[in-house]
Amino acid sequence: MKKEKGAKGMNKVSRDSCLLKPGRHYLQGNEAIIEGALVAGCRVYAGYPITPATEAMEAASRRFPEVGGRFIQMEDEIGSACVLIGASWGGVKALTVTSSPGFSLMQEAISIAIISETPMVIIDIQRPGPGQGYITASQEDVMQARWGHHGQGPIIALAPSSVQEMFEVTIEAFNLSERWRTPVLVMAEETVAHMRESVVIPPLEEIEIINRKKPQELGIPPDNYLPWGHDIVAPMANWGEGYNVNFVGLVHLEDGNVTRYSPQMNYHCVERLHKKIEIDANSISCLDTKFLEDCNHLMICYGVVSRTAMEAVAEAHEERGLKIGYIRLRRLWPFPEEQLRNIVCEVDTIFVPEMNLGMMKHPITEALRDRCKKIVSIPSIGILHSPDYILSKVYEELR
Amino acid sequence: MKNHPMLKYLKAEGPMGPRLPTILCPGCGGGQVLNYTLHAVDRLISKDNIRKEDFLFISGIGCSSRITSHYLNFDSAWTIHGRALAVATGALLANPAFRVIVFTGDGDLAAIGGNHFIHACRRNINVTILCMNNGLYGMTGGQLAPTTEKGVVTTTTPYGNPEESFDLCKLAETAGAPYVARWTTAHPRQVVRSVMKGVRKRGTAFIEVLSQCPVHKKMSPVAMLKMFKDNTILIGKERESKEGKIPIGEFLDIDRPEWNDSYQKIVSQAREGDYRTHE
Amino acid sequence: MVTIGKILGEAFSLYEGKNSVNTQSYGPESRGGACKSEVVVSAEEIHYPNVRKADVLVALSQVALDRYLPDLKEGGILLLDPGSVKDVPDLDKYQVHEVPSMEIAYEIGGVRYQNSVALGALYGLIPHLVKESSLLKAISDNVPRNTVEINKEAFKRGMRYEKGERGKGNE
Repeated sequence: MKKEKGAKGMNKVSRDSCLLKPGRHYLQGNEAIIEGALVAGCRVYAGYPITPATEAMEAASRRFPEVGGRFIQMEDEIGSACVLIGASWGGVKALTVTSSPGFSLMQEAISIAIISETPMVIIDIQRPGPGQGYITASQEDVMQARWGHHGQGPIIALAPSSVQEMFEVTIEAFNLSERWRTPVLVMAEETVAHMRESVVIPPLEEIEIINRKKPQELGIPPDNYLPWGHDIVAPMANWGEGYNVNFVGLVHLEDGNVTRYSPQMNYHCVERLHKKIEIDANSISCLDTKFLEDCNHLMICYGVVSRTAMEAVAEAHEERGLKIGYIRLRRLWPFPEEQLRNIVCEVDTIFVPEMNLGMMKHPITEALRDRCKKIVSIPSIGILHSPDYILSKVYEELR
Repeated sequence: MKNHPMLKYLKAEGPMGPRLPTILCPGCGGGQVLNYTLHAVDRLISKDNIRKEDFLFISGIGCSSRITSHYLNFDSAWTIHGRALAVATGALLANPAFRVIVFTGDGDLAAIGGNHFIHACRRNINVTILCMNNGLYGMTGGQLAPTTEKGVVTTTTPYGNPEESFDLCKLAETAGAPYVARWTTAHPRQVVRSVMKGVRKRGTAFIEVLSQCPVHKKMSPVAMLKMFKDNTILIGKERESKEGKIPIGEFLDIDRPEWNDSYQKIVSQAREGDYRTHE
Repeated sequence: MVTIGKILGEAFSLYEGKNSVNTQSYGPESRGGACKSEVVVSAEEIHYPNVRKADVLVALSQVALDRYLPDLKEGGILLLDPGSVKDVPDLDKYQVHEVPSMEIAYEIGGVRYQNSVALGALYGLIPHLVKESSLLKAISDNVPRNTVEINKEAFKRGMRYEKGERGKGNE
């Protein structure tokens, strides 16, 4: 008896690859993550039920076996994050989608993934807190993304703002994690995770997929292989390939030796990680901008709030002739300080609307304090700003 | 040492300096367990034609787990406290062909790692767990462990332990492991045989090895090994302690569906299903 | 209610080639326990994903009407179920249409068909925005396979009832 495939309303699926066919689809944000992951070549999913990320996990439980991947519901989020480490070193791209309380639990695993330079992707569908919080929208983990893991590792964190971007940014996250051998975080919100929108999927040949460099491809035999050497981003031999790789979770020499600890070795090891990610920070543009010419003020935003901000800024232009420039951070970390300073001239007021009490406001202030008269937070807790709300705060401030 | 038959499986030197000797204290049982395991692996490679590349050693944190740090001439992982089995689950999801051997201690496995231990056994993932049980937390200085017997004085039970302790083998069996055995470091051949059976077993093999910590127990290694021999009694399938001695032996050896084997059926089923399309 | 929004959004996005965003809120944070589903549709890119001022409000309970009527623009279309919505303040500010969707659903087979009845009625009011075939395709995507025909019938009944009502109003 042939079973009905996929979820209700599951869209066109290619019979061969089992991936969504190129064209127009209508997806929930959580579903788009899974489709993006599968296109990126991810074939292991581990997770734990948590609102508002559960739909992603349920979609993964249906879709991963369809493409020949594997899905497991672990006993907790810590286990899920550890599965990612094991799967990645076993040679397969791996994903988990969680929410804020689960994100807290994963910090130790993130820390060890950073030092061991393990490619993996963790998506946090943020919800407000602290504590159990609630199941609505929030951007309250954006600082935790940078500083939540113990120790001082660098991290890459991206911020999508639409269902189309949940698809694209997931692929981008995998590409970055493979290219730079680092865990990558995607900081989304409940709004986008639950919203449904059209997603246009291009032909697969047009989507760039990046895989980790392998020592075999570079002609490095096992006897000469240094697991964290050869280049600023070390080629990665995986378990089962005959390279006798010893994964370690603490500071090490390039060959993985952990016996000869010294503060210099510690510093050198950690410094190289930061240098590696700094190259990435400067390698591609991660700002969307509009209305920057002759602007008197600026609005800097990220995530789904940028959609409200765009509408508010456009309306301010039209209805009151207010020249507010719009800058959206597509990437939160490494913070694009240099890129911001390159495009921001003197302005009067910088507005920073966030679904928290003012977090990214801090690195923004550090970067642009000398280019403006003041920086004003526009917080909204537990609910997405409406354009009217942002405008009321802007007009009040500029009175 | 230079002629030790198992040296080929260790990395005495790396490109950036020596790795041996291990950091284990003189007389520690961990070295013995490593030796027995390598003997078992050696035989499996020659007798069963298992590829050396398929072996994967994973550990958490603690003295026992240190064996896996960078000494092994195999693929290995020295991970985080209590999480070796979760990492093993991930490795097996990526490649079900791995022969995973997990080195762990009583604290790493049954305290912080307890939840993953229970679920690994329940799922019956294809690992062989070697739990070196010394009844305390060695690396951090001799604190209480879930396996410390009642009344024992440790650095965190200076008035004597008020708690009851686990029977790890019963825990493994109840959680679903199909192969459960207990030996001591004074039983080399039995440990080697159990490890071989464990690797051959399709599923979670749990092998508890009572192991000496001469430093924190303040006894000589020889005295402890003698104590292991004198205070344990070999039993068969009956489980209860006799004559006040600790039961050792193979408590359970059955077959159960292994996780990846069961999941593979789901993958086949999912891929054969009927695809909804809209034309 | 969540499904109506999803079906409508899918009809617009997939079968009409327009941009649409569907969001929903439920539980206490949606002001009073009423569950709400919003659809924004546009030929252009949609920025703010929620409804600022609604052109159409479909209210299937009194609580929902009380909470969300202020979001409906003056002169906007209000589709309600007179079986559960008894009291409409400022009736003459809106184009009010009544369709007893719950009653019709029970006639067909149960409350689970109410969504399709309401959609059929809604279609009659916005035929310039979406084709009947698009909505029917979206419905069959989103209901159990063995209820597709009943749901299509429910849709048609809702549509015919609303047409009949409008016909009466034109006398």
